[in-house]
Formats: sequence, C-alpha cells, structure tokens
Amino acid sequence: MTVPNFVTLEQVRAELADVASYAAAAGLGLDASMLSEANPLFYLTFSNRDDIEFVAEFDCRDYPLNPPMIEFVDAAHTRRATPNLYPSCFHPLPCVCARYNRKAYKTLGGPHDDWRLIDWQLPTQAGPKIDSLAMIVSDMHSKIASSTGRMG
Amino acid sequence: MSNDKNSGGGPGGFGSGGQPKVQIKVQTPRGLWSMDDPKEATLRPEYAIAAKVQDVIDDVRNVFKFVENDSKYTLFLGRTELEPQRTLASYQIKTDTLLVLSVQGGNA
Repeated sequence: MTVPNFVTLEQVRAELADVASYAAAAGLGLDASMLSEANPLFYLTFSNRDDIEFVAEFDCRDYPLNPPMIEFVDAAHTRRATPNLYPSCFHPLPCVCARYNRKAYKTLGGPHDDWRLIDWQLPTQAGPKIDSLAMIVSDMHSKIASSTGRMG
Repeated sequence: MSNDKNSGGGPGGFGSGGQPKVQIKVQTPRGLWSMDDPKEATLRPEYAIAAKVQDVIDDVRNVFKFVENDSKYTLFLGRTELEPQRTLASYQIKTDTLLVLSVQGGNA
C-alpha cells in the first residue's frame, strides 16, 4: 500500500510548521527547499556537545502511513550513510534505531525484524509515542545534543 | 491562572514576597507554551526567579500531556542543557526568554 504523493506532501507541509518552530527555538537548521510531490524531502542540521554539525535527511515517501527514512548525509547531500556522518549516539549499523525510522526495519536493511511498519508510532522501548515529525526531531535533538564526537 | 506556587502574584514583576517574576516561553514538539498559548492552558509560564528548572518541566508536561514518566524531558536555553535542580535565576533567565523542551524516547 502506498500513499498518494499529494497526500504525503500536504501532511508533511502541515507538520513542518511545528518542526520549523521547534527547530528555530532549538537552533537547528531546517532546509525544506527541495520539498515537492516527487521528492518529499527535508533536511535538518543538528549539533552535538562538541559543536560538530550533522545533517539528517528525512525522506517522507508514504508518510504518514510509513515513517520517514532518516539518513545522515554530508553538507552537499552527496555522501550518505557513513559512520563519520553520524553522531555517536545511534546504532553502529549506522542507523537511527527507532520505530520512527524506516531504515531500522529488517525488510529495508535494518536490524529489526520484530517491528511492523504499521506500528511505527508506538514507543521504542520505554518512552512516549513518537507520532509526528516534530516529536521525531525532538527525540533526535535530545540524543544528539547530549552526545560527543562522531560515530566513526 | 499563572503558576501561583512559583510566582507569588503582585504587580510590576514582583511576587508578594518581593521576589522578581519572569514570564517565559517554552517551545515543545507539541506547540508553544506562553502567556497566551495554548488558549486552553490552565497554567501560564510565570515564575519567581528562584523557581527550579524542574518546576518548569513539570508544568509544561502537564500543559501538553506528556504523561510518560520513563521518558527523558530536558529544557534547553539555546544549546545549553539546563540542570533540573538549578534555579531560573542561575541561568539569568528573563521575561520573554524562549526555552525548548526536548522529549527523548527509548533506544533499540
């Protein structure tokens, strides 16, 4: 099952208002300039305790039925998914290992064959439901801001 | 209703005991908490400067119904992570200061 592109785009645009408010207050860099029906992407730049910047790509294809695919990329968005692009606080695959990341699911190459995509809004281990893009951003912000160094 | 346990009431930014008050803003992933928003909030972010960071965390969780106790809730001032037991005054927080509540879920 897939979500029509225009539905995904409208949903992402609606939720980006909260993401933008949160990002502005937290000092995160939001770049949604490439967001379109064909490419439902946006980027956020996080900083850790060492002031190292990390750029995360949120590919929202089939959102909100499925969670976004979250991947760390370089500033030019050309290199991706290498340990030195990741903060040290995530799974060494490398992967943001949470239900809210499509990459974490076994069917898409991730470590988890015990999760179903349809349940992506459930808590990962303990904690709250992470059921919106702003909640995803807040969770990542909290983890990255308190971490140091790079994964590799 | 302002946050009486911390504000003390009184005009001119001072509580009844003469302690200065501040009216802050807190951005959360579920919206902004301020003296005006959200409209239906029964608590407002008005605090004596001796109030603890933890008081603000408790109140903003209440306003936005962050009920899970096993989550990590952290307040940030810019990139500074605020320690829960320190006072607002110790971070030189003034009226209209914007804080951020981050909500951290579990890891797998």
